[in-house]
Amino acid sequence: MSRDDSAASDGGSAPASAAVDSADEPRPATYYHLARAVLYREYLIFVRYPANAIGGIVVALFFFGVLFYGGRLLAGQALTDSLSGIIVGYFLWTLSVGAYSSVSNDIGSEVQWGTLERHITTPFGFAPVALLKGAAKVVRTFLTSAVVLAVMLLLTGTRLSLDPFTVIPVAGLAITSVLGLGFAAGGVTVLYKRIGNWLNLLQFGFIALISAPVLDAPWTRFLPLAHGSAMLQRAMVDGVRLWEFGLADLALLVGVAAGYLLGGYVVFHYATRRARRLGVLGDY
Amino acid sequence: MADGGASSRGRAEAEAGSATREEVDRGDRNVETALAIEGVSKRFGDGDDAVLAVDDVSLTVERGSIVGLLGPNGAGKTTLIKCALGIVLPDAGSVRVFGTDVGDGRRAAYANVDAMLEGARNDYWRLTVRENLRYFATIAGVDPDSVRARHDRLLDRLDLTEKADTPVRELSRGMKQKVSLASVLAGGAELVFLDEPTLGLDIESSRTLRRELRRLAREEGLTIVLSSHDMGVVEDVCDRVVMMADGRIVADDTVSALRSGTDRDVVRVVSADIDDALVASLRERFDVRAVETEIGGIERGGDEVERGGDEVERGGDEVERGGDEVERGGDEDERGEGEMDERDEGDRDGTGSTAVEVAAAGDALYDLMDALREAGVTVEDIETVRPELEDVFVDLTGTEAGIDSRRRSP
Repeated sequence: MSRDDSAASDGGSAPASAAVDSADEPRPATYYHLARAVLYREYLIFVRYPANAIGGIVVALFFFGVLFYGGRLLAGQALTDSLSGIIVGYFLWTLSVGAYSSVSNDIGSEVQWGTLERHITTPFGFAPVALLKGAAKVVRTFLTSAVVLAVMLLLTGTRLSLDPFTVIPVAGLAITSVLGLGFAAGGVTVLYKRIGNWLNLLQFGFIALISAPVLDAPWTRFLPLAHGSAMLQRAMVDGVRLWEFGLADLALLVGVAAGYLLGGYVVFHYATRRARRLGVLGDY
Repeated sequence: MADGGASSRGRAEAEAGSATREEVDRGDRNVETALAIEGVSKRFGDGDDAVLAVDDVSLTVERGSIVGLLGPNGAGKTTLIKCALGIVLPDAGSVRVFGTDVGDGRRAAYANVDAMLEGARNDYWRLTVRENLRYFATIAGVDPDSVRARHDRLLDRLDLTEKADTPVRELSRGMKQKVSLASVLAGGAELVFLDEPTLGLDIESSRTLRRELRRLAREEGLTIVLSSHDMGVVEDVCDRVVMMADGRIVADDTVSALRSGTDRDVVRVVSADIDDALVASLRERFDVRAVETEIGGIERGGDEVERGGDEVERGGDEVERGGDEVERGGDEDERGEGEMDERDEGDRDGTGSTAVEVAAAGDALYDLMDALREAGVTVEDIETVRPELEDVFVDLTGTEAGIDSRRRSP
């Protein structure tokens, strides 16, 4: 920062103010500071406005309640037999919806507030901020979905393997691919504002992905969520530990996650670039 | 006396590159260029719907100066600012910020630039004032802990200290506007773009903000590019005014040069002794621009055809002036966008007097005084009629301030 030099050389400013300025010489912010700022902001909003999180939990539990009691009424024993699978699938679905909608809605909000533009005109750009926010959303979603999972287990009396060293990496990587979809949807929303709401309907498509027939149609493993969902079922229902999975399974899980995240980011990048060319970025 | 309109002069200067002029003006002072825009053009849409929002604009802004960007809606001000920021990518031309090309060295260039854009929140309403300052300092590349004292001073000067720990959403509109400005300044940017910074502010807040802007430029060498419809703000704060119309720069000069540059050295004389005969004889010898009689009607002579609408305003104004003098004593800050043409005409004298406005500079002024003495006129009031910046604006852009010249406002 050469501000102090120029202020001093102007001669107009009092020596006192120059002394004060040198006392708080600005230091450059690193990616560590950036991460701290972004994550702290997410944390503040999470604790300061718990209604959003609580609302999400209540809605998720309400739908599960309808599913569980309604299903038991209609399907009886059949439902009870596949209950653990349903609970795992539902858990993954709440995680996916949380990650996807928070990222895509967040990008929409930042555009509306004019804060996305401000990120673009910074030394860091929006990319690392978006990724950090995505990570924060995943953590947040894990917290709320854990509550949903706990209530589901208590409600149904089901027992599942809950080894955090297996569940968190597998579920986390599974929803990383959804995070990529969220970025892509956010990017498209930047360009075409009205499409944003329709893209929220994609969340229901996640149900199909989670229950994709990976055994009968192996190609579906390359879709987001599908392979991770199958692995999470094995981990939570059958109690398979992380290191007991085959290397190929783990590699595919990581590959799908990275691929969709990268793809989503590329879409977001080009969408904002096109928005800048069209002049629609921040055109409220 | 300027020969030729300010329009052609300003345009010629703008095209010649204003840097040359400034360097000459500033002499041996260490002039550093904060912003250099060269040949920037931006077209929106294609085919028949295409709008050339910015048309080959070149502009240089030196460090520590406050430049006002004026123009009717759709003149291309906001697009030019967004091009300078890289939020809108120009079709042609280059933008350099402190010598760094925004086109390729984007990241490096942005360490010193920030902007407050019109119509946007610009900050996070769910965070407190201080949290916003810290967040935006960080993303601007500054460790917030290292500028804590600076933030305190900033809050203090903008009268926000008491609200430092209040979430922005709970503040009034004017406060929010100030927080937005504070968050722009929090990262220590050395070049800031402010689009309508005083919009929605009350008189006191607007004054505070103007004072702070001037101080920042003077003491800290902050460079400010300020776009506004409020001529009062521009006249008050800016060293230099750039006027835009239809995507081009039509004038680029200091406020006082713009005001004196036009052919408007008019003297206004008020006296009860001015009668029709005298007016007639004055008309023969001088360039009489306006005659105003006790009734309040104003008779314009000469070339002021385009000000027809204004005359009506003035006439009505005169009638209303009975009791509401007190209200008119208010500050010019009060002017909204739509009421710009309600200018303070100065105190008009009582009944029975007549005012003549005569274009008389140099020797013509002495001749006029002689003529008045010969006619035995006791002068009640005499003043030079300086054009408001708004008059210059209307002359150059052909529009009233705040009125759309085009529908699209990119």
